[in-house]
Amino acid sequence: MLSVDSVAFGYDERTPVLADIGFTVAPGDVVAIVGRNGAGKSTLLRLLNGLLQPRSGRIVIDGCATADTPVHVLARHIGTVFQAPEQQMFHANVWDEIAFGARQLGLTGDALEERVHETLVRTGLEDVTHVHPLDLDQARRRFVALASVLAMRPPILLLDEPQRGLDRAAVERLESIVVEQAAAGRSVLLVCHDMDFVARRATRVIAVARGRIVADHPTLDFFGDPALAHAAGVELPDTIALARALDLPPALTPPAFAAAWMESAAS
Amino acid sequence: MALIDCDDLVFRYPYAERPVLDGVSLAIGAGERIAVLGANGSGKTTLARFIAGLLPDVAMKAERGSVSMEGRPWPAWTIAERSAAVQFVGQVPAQQLSGCAFTVYDELAFGPCNLALPEADVRARVEEALTICNLRHLVERDPFTLSGGEQQRLSIGAALAMKPRVLVLDEPTSNLDPESRDAFIEQLAALPASLTVIVFEVALRPSMALASRFLLFDGGRIVADGGASDVLTDPRCIAALGETSVARAAGSVRAAGGWPAGTPLPLTVPEASDAFAEVRRALRR
Repeated sequence: MLSVDSVAFGYDERTPVLADIGFTVAPGDVVAIVGRNGAGKSTLLRLLNGLLQPRSGRIVIDGCATADTPVHVLARHIGTVFQAPEQQMFHANVWDEIAFGARQLGLTGDALEERVHETLVRTGLEDVTHVHPLDLDQARRRFVALASVLAMRPPILLLDEPQRGLDRAAVERLESIVVEQAAAGRSVLLVCHDMDFVARRATRVIAVARGRIVADHPTLDFFGDPALAHAAGVELPDTIALARALDLPPALTPPAFAAAWMESAAS
Repeated sequence: MALIDCDDLVFRYPYAERPVLDGVSLAIGAGERIAVLGANGSGKTTLARFIAGLLPDVAMKAERGSVSMEGRPWPAWTIAERSAAVQFVGQVPAQQLSGCAFTVYDELAFGPCNLALPEADVRARVEEALTICNLRHLVERDPFTLSGGEQQRLSIGAALAMKPRVLVLDEPTSNLDPESRDAFIEQLAALPASLTVIVFEVALRPSMALASRFLLFDGGRIVADGGASDVLTDPRCIAALGETSVARAAGSVRAAGGWPAGTPLPLTVPEASDAFAEVRRALRR
């Protein structure tokens, strides 16, 4: 459980970046945070994981107020995959990179081996365990960053543009991990510019514009009202745009669109 | 003679079993707008660096073949000549910043100043880059405090300020929100038609907006070369990069028996909207 209550933040006192931010996220939610470049999305993630402190208001992560909890303790409750994964890596091989967080939880010996192995397999990295993370391509670096977070099994995951630059196989793997984490009762918050990805996998959309939340709705409701997407400066997912052009009910995925089309064609 | 010639290029990273570039031959004409598509880890970035002349270098040399611009292989160019001829913008914008500019303006002026241009020319180039990359409102900001998308626009602006004849962009729009992306693509289209633009992409949408020629890079070689309707529907391209959502939607309709035989699947929303409207009219007749 994550709750954000009346949070305001600015990097200096004169320029507010975020104001009046409030929302809660329940276990199993997959929440997409959307908005223009510079709207404050990544800043919001840094407030949630305790790297920044709000100027006012309160954030509680899994029972811990970020104001009173050191970042390394908070990391057990909330794991972050940053936009540039290379900025969060500091070990000379993939195995050590992934083991680092799990070691901080006190895992050693067989338990550690098992946890790392399981995570390597899940993220498709089992054949590169001895490779330096920075010798991997960008997509696999992203999975190393994700794996190092997953190995800690935090109840809340923050993913900043996780789908960026991934090919088909990698996107499918990422989506299956997101779905699996949500099904296991963990919460996933992702910042994302790819609205097709959001439409397929998010259960809820929070739109940020000029530092404020301008919409917080279930995904279908958000995209069903084009005025909301317009206010947030995001585009409609392709299948939503196509359904609108053809006067069909909004469809978040290609199969949903096909079902709506076949039904309308039959009537 | 093509502007850029890549001739049977073979390159292997030290200790790698297989070459990542395994005989790439490619001719690029002046003013072409090209998208090179390929899966993660296929070697796109390596190819991009060879085409932009950043490779070969002291430590990494091709086993065979070379890349030439105007008939002259890259190693024969001086850095000053090359930087005015071709600019490369990589995937991680923060790594592209000079690190010695305290404002967006100074970052954009850094390259032109290094060409020892008169001040008026430097200012004119900075002004143009500010417009094209939508950076005017950020002109006084410290580059390292910008968001990921803003840094990406800045690194592209800094490349354009060098007035290159060839722009090589490695996933140029991945960090941009849709408005910035559309504005950027529009501005890129408005640049002189003589500017050659080569983008390396895994994303289909920006590729379709930017390019008229598509190359599929797979197994270290160019395996398909043609227009969007040829390359994006190639099964190898679909296997590596997937399909657009509307192509998948039309594919689902076809699987359910609702798509006329012989009608190609649409790739974009406007194409799909026309195609579905046509199917609907045919059903009503």
